[in-house]
Amino acid sequence: MSLLFDEYGLPFIVVRDQEQKQRLKGVDAVKSHILAARNVANILKSSLGPKGLDKIMVNSDGEVTVTNDGATILKMMDVRHQVAKLLVELSQSQDDEVGDGTTSVVVLAGALLEQAEALLDKGIHPVRIADGFSMAAEICCRHLETISDEVEVSSERKTALVEVAMTALGSKIVSRCHRQIATIAVDAVLAGIKMADLERKDVDFELIKVEGKVGGKMEETTLVKGVVVDKGFSHPQMSKELKNAKIAILTCPFEPPKPKTKNTLSIKSVEDYEKLHNYERKTFEDMIGHVKKSGANIVCCQWGFDDEANHMLLQSSLHAIRWVGGSEMELVAIASGGRIVPRFEELTREKLGSAGIIREIQFGTTKDSMIFIESCANSRAVTIFVRGGNKMIVEEGKRSIHDALCVTRNLVKDNRIVYGGGSAEISCAIKINAEADKIATLEQYAIRVFGDALESVPIALSENSGFPAITTLANVKTLQISTNNPHLGIDCLKRGTYDMKEQRVIETLIGKQQQIMLATQVVKMILKIDDVIANEI
Amino acid sequence: MGYALRPPIILLKEGTDTSQGKAQLISNINACEALVDTIRTTLGPRGMDKLIVDGKGKVTISNDGATIMKLLDVVHPAGHVLVDIAKSQDAEIGDGTTSVVLLAGAFLKECKPFIEEAVHPQVIVRSFRLATQLALNRIDEVAVKHSFKDPTEKRALLEKVAFTSMSSKLISTHKEFFSKLVVNAVSVLNADLPLDMIGIKKVPGGSFESSFLVRGVAFKKAFSYAGFEMAPKKYDNPLVCLLNIELELKAERDNAEIRVDNVEEYQRIVDAEWTILYQKLQRIVESGAKVVLSKLPIGDVATQFFADRDVFCAGRIPDDDMRRTAKACSGSVQTSVGNLGPSLGRCGLFEEIQIGGERFNIFSDCPQTQTCTLILRGGADQFIAETERSLHDAIMVVRRTLKNEAVVAGGGAIEMELSRYLREYSRTVAGKSQMLIAAYAKALEAIPRQLCENAGFDSTNILNLLRNKHHNGGLWYGIDITTEGIADNYQRFVWEPAVMKINVLKAAAEAACVVLTVDETVKNPKCQDDVSQQAARKGRAGGVPR
Repeated sequence: MSLLFDEYGLPFIVVRDQEQKQRLKGVDAVKSHILAARNVANILKSSLGPKGLDKIMVNSDGEVTVTNDGATILKMMDVRHQVAKLLVELSQSQDDEVGDGTTSVVVLAGALLEQAEALLDKGIHPVRIADGFSMAAEICCRHLETISDEVEVSSERKTALVEVAMTALGSKIVSRCHRQIATIAVDAVLAGIKMADLERKDVDFELIKVEGKVGGKMEETTLVKGVVVDKGFSHPQMSKELKNAKIAILTCPFEPPKPKTKNTLSIKSVEDYEKLHNYERKTFEDMIGHVKKSGANIVCCQWGFDDEANHMLLQSSLHAIRWVGGSEMELVAIASGGRIVPRFEELTREKLGSAGIIREIQFGTTKDSMIFIESCANSRAVTIFVRGGNKMIVEEGKRSIHDALCVTRNLVKDNRIVYGGGSAEISCAIKINAEADKIATLEQYAIRVFGDALESVPIALSENSGFPAITTLANVKTLQISTNNPHLGIDCLKRGTYDMKEQRVIETLIGKQQQIMLATQVVKMILKIDDVIANEI
Repeated sequence: MGYALRPPIILLKEGTDTSQGKAQLISNINACEALVDTIRTTLGPRGMDKLIVDGKGKVTISNDGATIMKLLDVVHPAGHVLVDIAKSQDAEIGDGTTSVVLLAGAFLKECKPFIEEAVHPQVIVRSFRLATQLALNRIDEVAVKHSFKDPTEKRALLEKVAFTSMSSKLISTHKEFFSKLVVNAVSVLNADLPLDMIGIKKVPGGSFESSFLVRGVAFKKAFSYAGFEMAPKKYDNPLVCLLNIELELKAERDNAEIRVDNVEEYQRIVDAEWTILYQKLQRIVESGAKVVLSKLPIGDVATQFFADRDVFCAGRIPDDDMRRTAKACSGSVQTSVGNLGPSLGRCGLFEEIQIGGERFNIFSDCPQTQTCTLILRGGADQFIAETERSLHDAIMVVRRTLKNEAVVAGGGAIEMELSRYLREYSRTVAGKSQMLIAAYAKALEAIPRQLCENAGFDSTNILNLLRNKHHNGGLWYGIDITTEGIADNYQRFVWEPAVMKINVLKAAAEAACVVLTVDETVKNPKCQDDVSQQAARKGRAGGVPR
């Protein structure tokens, strides 16, 4: 910000550190924002769709991430520019809310801003452009509802769910075995809601754990109806498999209790020392006695215990797992139907959890082992166990499964779908162009270009698939109009038909509506800023 | 030789900045104008937003005058007056913060020629005070007072007012939706309309339309220990126990130390500690409470104890959420578990649900709900932050209107009317006052002029149309932002509470008078360090040791 001078030539300072502040005003500000946002969108464009490419990102610690997920790419890019940051948050919020479509939402926002720039050059007030965009977004959302289909969702009929999950996974690295993974994701979600929540339509992701282990093939990814704990049994001589387990879930350590208040125990004689020794031994015995008496045959302990206790457990033929994390404890408790017990004295038969089988499994040549607790009393808590050739693939696999879980949840919440492959966008674009002519005010221009912007998604899809983008789009568009079929989209996988309904490329309605609304809101916000006051950092 | 020996008279500390006289006055006015220029473009439905990055890199995008003024970090002493009036308008009315700054700036700008012509500032101040008084009387005269008996009509009025307040904000396209939300929220409150009983929670993600109102209390799930997930997530008609006790195994006194002489005692002490906690927990469970909230942490043992007995618990609940829950469930926060019975609250439905990426605890259907929570959604943090500010304004305006039901038409209509009235009045007085009151009248036109300019309209043309209309008795004619013309804004339901306009006028005139009456600024050096630094800098630059 430059200095201000009054008419006597004296400089005066109104704002603190005025000289150090940068200021950008008016149309220049809007244009520079648009440029920044478009750059971000262009980076993401190439990852869109089933033929989209991945990005490799190296963070400051040298950690490598390979991903195709828009939200992850943007998060790792560590964007500095204020407006670009808005786009990062945009894809983040799409991720939180819908889980999928994080790339398309940014591409759409970029395209909207690109179109807005042309209108700004024509001299249309930015707020009117913004108003026009939100009118168009309204039209879009209503239109999407009319072209949407309802599918039946229940635990028996899960074809639709699997197809949606497959569409979400289509662009990911896991697409090699995407039907398998899609089924896993759907089963996981359905297991979570089977119990009581179907009418509440509330899917608690805290009950679905995604664990990964490097090694093996992607195809070996499995759904464990129970819990996987990344630990081994505490004593190597314990048998590796335990059937009909009764689990004691303890949050107290296997050691003599200590009062929390600071204390000293002064020992004055040998007899006293002897007594203390016996006391300690007795407490161990008591503890194991309590466990035994309750009928448990395995102990799952939040804390550790020393070798002496370990040895005594083995002698009493009790299995034990130590240092189990808090959230895993909880999952074990939920899965096995047991109660977490904070004191040995409270351990009773009713508080034990039960599991059909508990296995310790070793992987490859490494010493790593994991404990699988399966066939539990209550199968709400499930674990998806991801395998893959290297760490990056496992991580990307986890992210892809998250996406699939999210879309499945969305479909459980709202069972309406639209067809993917850009078909919904093209159909909306046609609708908007028809509606635009009915609007009398200046907003007409903005609404019309909104339609053009929507086409950026199918264009990017066909570009990424190596088709002549414009021609393909034009073909599909004319076909849509002439056959009046809103399900025609880009045939990215060369299956020989444009009809996405036949190809079973489906997306959730809320996901698509959310994308359009969110992108419009962010664009609106960016267009409304005409003044930037920033401290140089 | 002689004068060199005369010691200088040192009155003020070294480094003190003093400037005085007419030049100072003009310079002050310029500073204020510069400030007004900054926020000028945010006024009205076509106003733009500002993006402000503070020293720590935190980004705020806002259209709210008070917020922008606060964030600008103004150091100029005269400029500070403007920041203060924006803040006071925010605290008092909640809306109109941009208008008040703009108007004060316009007043000062109109005075500048008079100051340059050497009219004494006090004369200007006197006339301005008179003009303000006249304007206020005029508002009282013309304001339309509604005293609706019918609740639906009253509701319609409130929605209109909320509507106008939100039309300049980011959420303007969803103002129907939000004005309903705001009016619903305010109507839950009791007669005193306490603002802190409306909680606003922000959850990123989703779109504006997924925002909703909870008639009761909602807050984010607190940090929880293992065992929490086992507790049920939904209760019908539970008893709610509110505590301010730490439910954890802990040392009773920090400095206490136990000396134990024999081993038997040791076990007894351990047992004693557990007994203390267990007794507390047992009492709570026995009281019949199904939901236990505490301001202080609830430890893992307690969590598991409660989960075991199907009781929901949450620790570290923020103070204001606690208070609102207490109010909603008509319970009270207890600091001991001695006699819980009468202090328990009750609510119709308690559940934990997923909102976006967070899990929320929601109390609803309470017996005497006088509190509510707005859950705001939106694409980005800045987004929701701005929505919150806009809703705050709207809530304040609705509260004001509930207390005082007089409304005037916005969109520059009331300003044009006052301007006409004062201009006509000015012709009836003699002396300097005539010029000054006319200047005041002209300054009032700044608001409609700015509205036009922000929308890209021809302001001169529209103002001429408006002056003509008002002269011919079109009381409520103002700018019609959609058609680029003028219209009867009372008919178009662009309504604003009269109190807001009254406060804007009072505050702006007062601020202008304060700036006008200052003719000397004495600025003390900040502190010793600053001075020595300055001296050091001077030393380096000039090379003259002092």
